[in-house]
Amino acid sequence: MRILKNVAKVFCAANLALAFAMVSFAQTLKLPPHEKVVLKNGLTLLIMEKHGVPIVSFNAIVKAGSAADPADQAGLAGITAGLLRKGTQKRTAQQFASDLDFIGGSFDAGSDVDYTTISAEFLTKDLDRGLDLIGDAVLRPAFPQQEVDKLLAQSVDGVKAAKDQAEAVIFNYYEGYLYLSHPYARPGGDELTLKKIQRDAIVKFYQTYYVPSNTILAVAGEFNSAELKKKLEDTFGAWPAKPAPAVNIPATAMVKGKRLLLIDKPDATQTYFVIGNVGVTANDPDRVGIRVVNTAFGGTFASLLNTALRIDSGYTYGANSFFQNQKAAGPFAIYSFTKNETTVPAIDLALKILDDLHKNGLTATQLDTAKKYIKGQFPPRIETSGQLASRIAVSEFYGLDDNEINQLETRIDAVTLDSAKQIIEKHFPRENLVFLLIGKASEIGPAVKKYAEKQDERKISEPGFWPPPAK
Amino acid sequence: MRKISRLYLVAGLVCAFGLAVSASAQDEAKQFPVATKTLKNGMKVLVQSDHSIPNVALYIFYRIGSRNEHPGTTGLSHFFEHMMFNGAKKYGPGELDKVMEANGGENNAYTNQNLTVYQDWFPRSALPLILDIEADRIQYLQFDPKKIASEREVVASERRLRTDNDNGGLLDEQLWSTAFIAHPYQWPVVGWMSDIEHWTMEDLKHHFEMGYSPNNATMVVVGDVTSDEIFQLCEKYIEPIPTHAPPPPVTTVEPEQLGERRLVVRKPAELPLLQIGYHVPQTNNSDFYALNILRTVLFQGESSRMYQRLVDKDQIALDVSSDVEAAFDPTLAIIYAQPKQGVDPAACEKAIYEELDKAKASPISDQELEKAKNIRLVEFYHQMRTINGRANTIGTYEIYFGDYTKLFDAAKNYNAVTKDDVQRVAKKYFGPNNRTVATLIPENEEKVKQ
Repeated sequence: MRILKNVAKVFCAANLALAFAMVSFAQTLKLPPHEKVVLKNGLTLLIMEKHGVPIVSFNAIVKAGSAADPADQAGLAGITAGLLRKGTQKRTAQQFASDLDFIGGSFDAGSDVDYTTISAEFLTKDLDRGLDLIGDAVLRPAFPQQEVDKLLAQSVDGVKAAKDQAEAVIFNYYEGYLYLSHPYARPGGDELTLKKIQRDAIVKFYQTYYVPSNTILAVAGEFNSAELKKKLEDTFGAWPAKPAPAVNIPATAMVKGKRLLLIDKPDATQTYFVIGNVGVTANDPDRVGIRVVNTAFGGTFASLLNTALRIDSGYTYGANSFFQNQKAAGPFAIYSFTKNETTVPAIDLALKILDDLHKNGLTATQLDTAKKYIKGQFPPRIETSGQLASRIAVSEFYGLDDNEINQLETRIDAVTLDSAKQIIEKHFPRENLVFLLIGKASEIGPAVKKYAEKQDERKISEPGFWPPPAK
Repeated sequence: MRKISRLYLVAGLVCAFGLAVSASAQDEAKQFPVATKTLKNGMKVLVQSDHSIPNVALYIFYRIGSRNEHPGTTGLSHFFEHMMFNGAKKYGPGELDKVMEANGGENNAYTNQNLTVYQDWFPRSALPLILDIEADRIQYLQFDPKKIASEREVVASERRLRTDNDNGGLLDEQLWSTAFIAHPYQWPVVGWMSDIEHWTMEDLKHHFEMGYSPNNATMVVVGDVTSDEIFQLCEKYIEPIPTHAPPPPVTTVEPEQLGERRLVVRKPAELPLLQIGYHVPQTNNSDFYALNILRTVLFQGESSRMYQRLVDKDQIALDVSSDVEAAFDPTLAIIYAQPKQGVDPAACEKAIYEELDKAKASPISDQELEKAKNIRLVEFYHQMRTINGRANTIGTYEIYFGDYTKLFDAAKNYNAVTKDDVQRVAKKYFGPNNRTVATLIPENEEKVKQ
């Protein structure tokens, strides 16, 4: 990669100068340069100075997500994150909102299965005020009881509102049914587990995991690195060092056999379905090959799945597939939906396309298209400071390095028809499948029994996802 | 919510016009150069070079949408948008996407009440190919009966996804069809299911002839290109396309609403929903800026008046928001609220009216005005930070305001908004006689009550 000279166009706005940087990207992908600094208290800082738009983007990762939730209090990590801005030692929730909105800033916090993310953006001119807000939320949350009660009540209702839309909850059910007793089975809690969360547990979660040595803070955008480092030291340097326990996430493996869970939504005129199994880890050595093969299989509009289920048959508005790579192996899923009457033909066809992938592999053209597509569409994924801050923080968390992007094209080129075939055999399920359907059981129930030896059924109106609550 | 796209991953063309506080709009226009050219066949092309990534965003806006339809053929514009991916002369059925992906490109499209918009995102190496594809389908679209039958099913599936199995989408459809009694904004962009099932080959061909003339379209290209190369490619591929008559003007004017309208949808659901629509002017009206400032103060962020009241203080709603879509004709400002379980939507309604009444009775504070302007400024940067966002924004101003350079006046226009203006538009548009109130009541809950 050659960084060519900057040709900046200046776009004046008030006392700000917005310059759309014209850094010429060479034809190879490369992450802009960035620096890693570990403070004395153990906090990891990743700093990427990138001029062009007068915005500073923050992305912090705390190394504990929903997999760290106690089983009966699923949702704890997410609630803890959601409360960071809801009252601090300096500000009430309302003051925090007023100060944030006045400068047009954004602040979001939430949990993934493996980690908690706090992301925020401010105009460069408001950097000091923005840092003060982030520091306040991350270092000094007060968890006022009334805000705890409010957020828990809202979250319980939020689950109910989501259940009015099959699409919004299908993966909650799927991950529950796929992982059963593993912590990945409950990525966010439900109406029952959220109700069991108490303020004490939230404070304890915060004190245990929100520790400098357990946190990565990435900052990208328009600033002076030396000045920013000093500001970050001033804000986070006094955060007391303390050991943090690693979250224990047991290894996961492909489910053997076939099982099917039907969630009855009596007013559904369309069946939503997921077919899949346990996939791979974030640092699986085959991850680039998997990405290439999955792009051809179900990652684009002209992919094998969408061509069969949408373009050629008209069964659906869309069909796709994805691997969600996590610390322990995350889910692989084929996802689509079709009207009640064509539920069986659509699922049959999805299974046939999966089977054909095993039988025939990919053609040279399909493989080549997938490679060109990933490469061609990648630059806009690392275009903004927000995208870059998130990417370097997540990479650091999973122990991946810059070669994840800098070597991406080379690694893509290294995928051959033979290696694709091995990847299909190893990572794409065939005989062992988990089915999750949301639809009108009275219409589709009998016909879908044929897909699995083991079958389960629940009503969408019953609280919880899967497994069902103990009686 | 009304915009219906070919794929469900598309970013929104929202009505969040930016603010750039500026000494001189002309200076900005110079420093943010957009080259323009009108081809001999009438298509206007706008180009902004930006070499920060080796990619290009290309948008073609056709001025045809559901407002150009009629009862019996509702949803035709959107269906037509789908057909534009199903094969022309050089690039036959299924080939458009395959060829584009094989060259590292991706595409999408969306239709709303006013426009049908095609979007291509690709590495610059795919440049000539993309124009060849666009020219091919504008001129030589195929009308294969088998493809039409199959695509009809795809669109029906899309309607089930977004409307029939989505309570918010369902209620929204009913709200528009109640708020408008004369103007074409009354029917859904996706079309009524019975129209989706019944439109004919003749309807499709007529729609194509009416809407897809080059003089009815505008192209915007942003990214790793030069204006010269784009103009040359357009001369080669696009300019030879013949011109014909554009769609007839939409002459129906929605009569003034003379009293509140209410509608109820009863269906199985976990939670109720509330939507309130108020008639407001079209996008290029001078009240546009004051209305946006008012909506920002009322709805944007957790410090907004409505959030503070309904979500935080009274704790009767999970969220409350508002939206106005860009529109050629007078449209709706819609307020959305998700009541909490066990809360009567009427309680949310009452709280919303009380907050609206306060905004009518006394001016917003200086601090609120400044906050709203700051939020608009940041939104502007967010829209302008990607090549895709800029292509969309330049096109939006060109289409709805009639001139992309209005982008540079937005700053001045927002800055000129006073507290009095905000109070005036609150009084003018947010009265009870001008509103349509839609509620979704969970049927199972109702039955339990009986």
